[in-house]
Amino acid sequence: MNLLTLLIFTPVLFGLIILVLPSSMRASFKYITLFATLLQLAFSIFIYVNFNADAAHAGISHEAQYQFVQKLPWINLNLGGAGKMQIEYYVGIDGISVTLLVMTALVMVVAAVASWEIKSNLKGFFALFLLLDMAVVGVFCALDFFLFYTFYELMLLPLYFLIGMWGGARREYAAIKFFLYTLFGSVFMLLVMIGLYLSVKDPVTGNHTFNMVQMMDPKNFIDGSVFSILSHQTIMGMPARTVGFVVLFIAFAIKVPVVPLHTWLPDAHVEAPTPVSIILAGVLLKIGGYGIIRICLGIFPDVAHSGAFWLGLLGIISILYGAFNALAQRDLKRMIAYSSVSHMGFVLLGIASQTAEGISGAVLQMVSHGFLSTMLFFLVGVVYSRVHDRDIYHFRGLATLMPRYTVYVMVAFFASLGLPGFSAFVAEAFTLAGAFKSHNINGLLPYWMAVCGSVGILLSAAYFLWTLQRMFFGTISLKGGDFWKGALTDIDWRERLTLLPLAIMALALGIMPSLVLGKINESVLALVQYLQLK
Amino acid sequence: MITLTDFMVVSAVLFCTGLFIIVSKKNAIQILIGIELMLNAAILNLVAFGKYDRVNNSGQIFALFAIILAAATTAVALAIILNVYKQYKTINPDQIKDLKD
Amino acid sequence: MKEAILPQELQTIYLTILIVLLPFAAFILNFLFLNKSKASGWVSTIAILISSIFSIFVFTAIWNGPVIHVQTIWFTIGDSQVHAGLLLNNLSVLMLALVPLVALPVHIYSTAYMKDDAGYGRYFRYLSFFCFSMLALVVVDNLVLFYAFWELVGFASYLLIGFWFDRPAAVQANKKAFIMNRIGDIGLLTAIIIIYTLFGTFDLEKLFGAEGFVTRYSYIENGTWSFYLNHVLHVPVSRGWTVMAPHTVTQIPAIWQYVAFGGIFLGVAAKSAQFPLHTWLPDAMEGPTSVSALIHAATMVAAGVFLLGRVYPMFNTTELNILAAVGCFTAFMAATIALTQTDLKRILAYSTISQLGYMVMAMGIGAYASSLFHLVTHAFFKCLLFLCAGIVIHQIKHVKEDNHLDIDPQDLANMGGLRKKLPVTFVATLIAGLALIGLPLTSGYLSKEGILVQAFEWAELKGGAFMLIPVFASITSWLTAFYVARMILKVFYGDMNLSKLYPNITIHIGDGGWRYQLPLIMLALCSLFPLFSLNPLAHSGWLTGGLPQYGQYTAGLVELMVPVIINVGSIAMLYYAYMAYIKQRDKVAAQPSLLHRISFNEWYIDAFYQRVIVRAVMTFSKALYWFDLKVIDGLVNLFERIARCIAGAAAWFDKYIVDGLLHLAAALVAYIGGIARRFQNGKVQYYLFSMLLAVIVVFILKILIWNS
Repeated sequence: MNLLTLLIFTPVLFGLIILVLPSSMRASFKYITLFATLLQLAFSIFIYVNFNADAAHAGISHEAQYQFVQKLPWINLNLGGAGKMQIEYYVGIDGISVTLLVMTALVMVVAAVASWEIKSNLKGFFALFLLLDMAVVGVFCALDFFLFYTFYELMLLPLYFLIGMWGGARREYAAIKFFLYTLFGSVFMLLVMIGLYLSVKDPVTGNHTFNMVQMMDPKNFIDGSVFSILSHQTIMGMPARTVGFVVLFIAFAIKVPVVPLHTWLPDAHVEAPTPVSIILAGVLLKIGGYGIIRICLGIFPDVAHSGAFWLGLLGIISILYGAFNALAQRDLKRMIAYSSVSHMGFVLLGIASQTAEGISGAVLQMVSHGFLSTMLFFLVGVVYSRVHDRDIYHFRGLATLMPRYTVYVMVAFFASLGLPGFSAFVAEAFTLAGAFKSHNINGLLPYWMAVCGSVGILLSAAYFLWTLQRMFFGTISLKGGDFWKGALTDIDWRERLTLLPLAIMALALGIMPSLVLGKINESVLALVQYLQLK
Repeated sequence: MITLTDFMVVSAVLFCTGLFIIVSKKNAIQILIGIELMLNAAILNLVAFGKYDRVNNSGQIFALFAIILAAATTAVALAIILNVYKQYKTINPDQIKDLKD
Repeated sequence: MKEAILPQELQTIYLTILIVLLPFAAFILNFLFLNKSKASGWVSTIAILISSIFSIFVFTAIWNGPVIHVQTIWFTIGDSQVHAGLLLNNLSVLMLALVPLVALPVHIYSTAYMKDDAGYGRYFRYLSFFCFSMLALVVVDNLVLFYAFWELVGFASYLLIGFWFDRPAAVQANKKAFIMNRIGDIGLLTAIIIIYTLFGTFDLEKLFGAEGFVTRYSYIENGTWSFYLNHVLHVPVSRGWTVMAPHTVTQIPAIWQYVAFGGIFLGVAAKSAQFPLHTWLPDAMEGPTSVSALIHAATMVAAGVFLLGRVYPMFNTTELNILAAVGCFTAFMAATIALTQTDLKRILAYSTISQLGYMVMAMGIGAYASSLFHLVTHAFFKCLLFLCAGIVIHQIKHVKEDNHLDIDPQDLANMGGLRKKLPVTFVATLIAGLALIGLPLTSGYLSKEGILVQAFEWAELKGGAFMLIPVFASITSWLTAFYVARMILKVFYGDMNLSKLYPNITIHIGDGGWRYQLPLIMLALCSLFPLFSLNPLAHSGWLTGGLPQYGQYTAGLVELMVPVIINVGSIAMLYYAYMAYIKQRDKVAAQPSLLHRISFNEWYIDAFYQRVIVRAVMTFSKALYWFDLKVIDGLVNLFERIARCIAGAAAWFDKYIVDGLLHLAAALVAYIGGIARRFQNGKVQYYLFSMLLAVIVVFILKILIWNS
């Protein structure tokens, strides 16, 4: 049995078990879910440990260099005159995906623990949760575009219901907004996917193929097809490849999210229940970044090269815009949601630089943000579950009331604002270094971009420290008076057990960035080399 | 001499009178009387035409039969009217519209 | 990557690592086990004691001896390896010795000073963490780690300023300190990135060493800053330097050299509280006084000057002139502010800013060695001043608590006449104060006169407006004499003002136990001349001999005249202050005068930042949020509305046009049926009548048809 396949389908197996079990056993559902995610985490750690990080296993554009590959024919239809339809179940990982997998698995465990606070319709919740788990892991492993798309769309359905059924007051609005936003992106992605399918031929079988790795090789494109590099086809007066890139980019940019496609995020986060917020920020946003690296850059390197300036500009705008917006918030969760926009801007900036430093920084930032945003949203959930309020102005002096909680908040805040010793620092510093260096290496981004990006680091200090000062320090003063005072108990063992591994991961990645960089470096170098070849 | 035509005229007058009574009167008993008149017009015709029949007195015999039958139907009709009255407290046919669709 | 390390070098390396890690171990120990225990203070103190002993060993081993530079790969990113390592040269071991030597008395003092505080364990946890970061900062060998610890000391300072986190003023102050330091941090980060882009390495030795890339192989020409490597082949491979292909040239526009300088300057200005980023330091006095002594007077704030020392070869003449001007301006401005402050700690804070200004100015005029010398002497005497201030404030606070008064224990107005009550403190303050003024026989004289002399010589060479810098530096020196005199006179001389204000209070105060007095004595001894130079009238010491001098000086009359003039002026100021405050001969600067107001309100700089910059940023962010909510999300919602309108129209069409036709047909049938059903009105006579009519019609038709 292939490990990746096990990794992908373990959760859904347990999801089926939950569906079959009678509702009278609903108390056991959370344990089953936790067990499933822990099992998945064990698999992912095994994969991480056994992942071969040398140059011969760099992956990217070489099919043979992917690891833990499983390739099975899935849908094979003989279409007569139109050839044979070839869709494969094709999973495999390289350096770019392996660290994200481990991160996802850990975030899922935390989300599973966080969902213990869910009280209604447990069967539905946990079944959808595990389905979602399968889909996100599948996205990171899929190497067949059709399979990728299937998993990608499969994520939407459980998320829609998880937000729409277990969410806050405006949950329907948020769920529909989220759903339509992402659907808007992915519908057009479908068109490009079909265009690519029709443009690419498997050199071995001679059939059209959805194989993403083969799509990276210009030789596999049929002469005169829509997306062939040589044929210079146009769609509505624009070069077809540019259109394809832009469409795919928009699809992933919605996920990242990149300003101005970000407005679903604050609403979805604010309305979503804590575990879903965790998955949204921890994993879902990374799918956007991963998609841009793997698909936008991988399949359209030429367009990525010529459009790098715009990607970088969007990254900078996201960084600054998100940070300024975070500064203006008074809802704690919304503030963190905007800070996510800002931090994910670094990912885009790093990717746009197309330097080894930039892309490594971007991947590290994704992993780091995965842990940190999980932590942040979990921490918001702690206060919210106690008093059902998140307004920053309604609290003061929480440090006296909840000292342990405040320690974790400080860890999460300072790690997020890029304090050295935590993961975000290395990630952001090298993203900026890559962005600055880019002008000398490949001339893509102007120097000033990196300088503007660093202002984001300043602003992140401003909004996090302001929140700390306003909400946690000073003398106790709560809107809810003595009732709140009684309700706001310090975090219990379950919450501590959840937060501790995340804090440790953030610290470990800050002190030993090689935990991530060591695994991704060769792949990043291969990617950079591949991008330079165009 | 009284000709067949005279009989026919009397019969037609009788018939028309009966018909008029049936259509216009607002009392079921009167309508029944109208029916009787029409019946008698028919019987009169029967007797009058009987003269030209090959069999002797067959018209009169049929007339007798018809008279008896008419008496029987009148009895039934009166019974129905009695029941209708019980049901509706009226015998004005305009107010009994249960035959409506 | 490196040649075999000699055994004695290995020992030094291990000792250095121990020096750095001992406070860290104390931090971990306190963090994990000694959360509430009083033992935490002694754990931290013993750690720093051992560190200071070892640091003296390391100092003697390295000072004027071989440079030790060892490193190991930390992580690899792309093609570049980022190392972690130690760089021990004269500059770093000087700091390495200074930090624990200042920290040790502060630790001892703190065990007494903080003993009644609920957060005793937390305090020592933070303090050890600070010592670890600061020690690591001075020995690390590359810019990434330097930046990391640079920010970690800022973080420790953040924690300690906000130590009493339930006081709103303290948490406002620590937020301000961290954010202002962040401005400097991003400047430094930008500079590091620029340097990395050009030179491809973070290694301090490789970049700024004697044979460093910045020093030897880069130049600015025709608007580009080029790095040009074909000489590197001469460099011994054995020293761990990469050998690159000859003629490797990397270039970036020259403007970025200035940006890099600007970034470093911002970093220095933030950390060392130089104009325009100095306003956090006076507010940072909200922290415990012992913390102010260690972090905000002696060590962390000196890190900016240390950074200048580390990257000094990078600066060109223009940039050095800017440094000198800013340093001089800061020194002058802070001294004028210190003149009128009424809060004891604020006076000291502005005095620190002023002295740091001297150091930065000294760096700017090329007096590299004197600048660092002043850093060292200043660390001792300013730390001492703060500790003394701490005792004074502590005692006043006791009086306040004993008698339930509502007074500010830091206000000069509540002091006076403490000379007899606190003799040890008084003597220590006096020594430190004289050192701060720079009178002979103190360490301050040695370092400060060196700077002033060189400033005059430097300006003499340059001529013109450059003369303003030494002139203002001299004025600052006299102002220093005045505010120190004012402070000491107001605190220790005259009568106890509190007894005058509240005649029936009881005052039981004293110098405190050995844990108060020992640190004072240690530091007071270090503030006198013998530690640094046997000649009390020299304006240099053995320290300056071990550090490079970059300026060119003409030894001459200046060397004789400057100290004399400065000291005569200072003494005159002391006399004037004595006359003004004790003999009440002269009213000093009438209270409501404009100058007094400017000085008292700290030149309105902080108010300007609060009212203009902070407000502008907040307004801007609110405006952006409005934009986000109304415009971007508004667009999304507009799309939604448009889609809804279209959908509404479609629904209307569907309902009234498409469905309408169907309904019309149905209605037609129903209408016709309605007409037909009128016949079925249930009236027997009507049925009969219609039957009759039908029969008649049939007959009429029959007749008509037959007849036609």
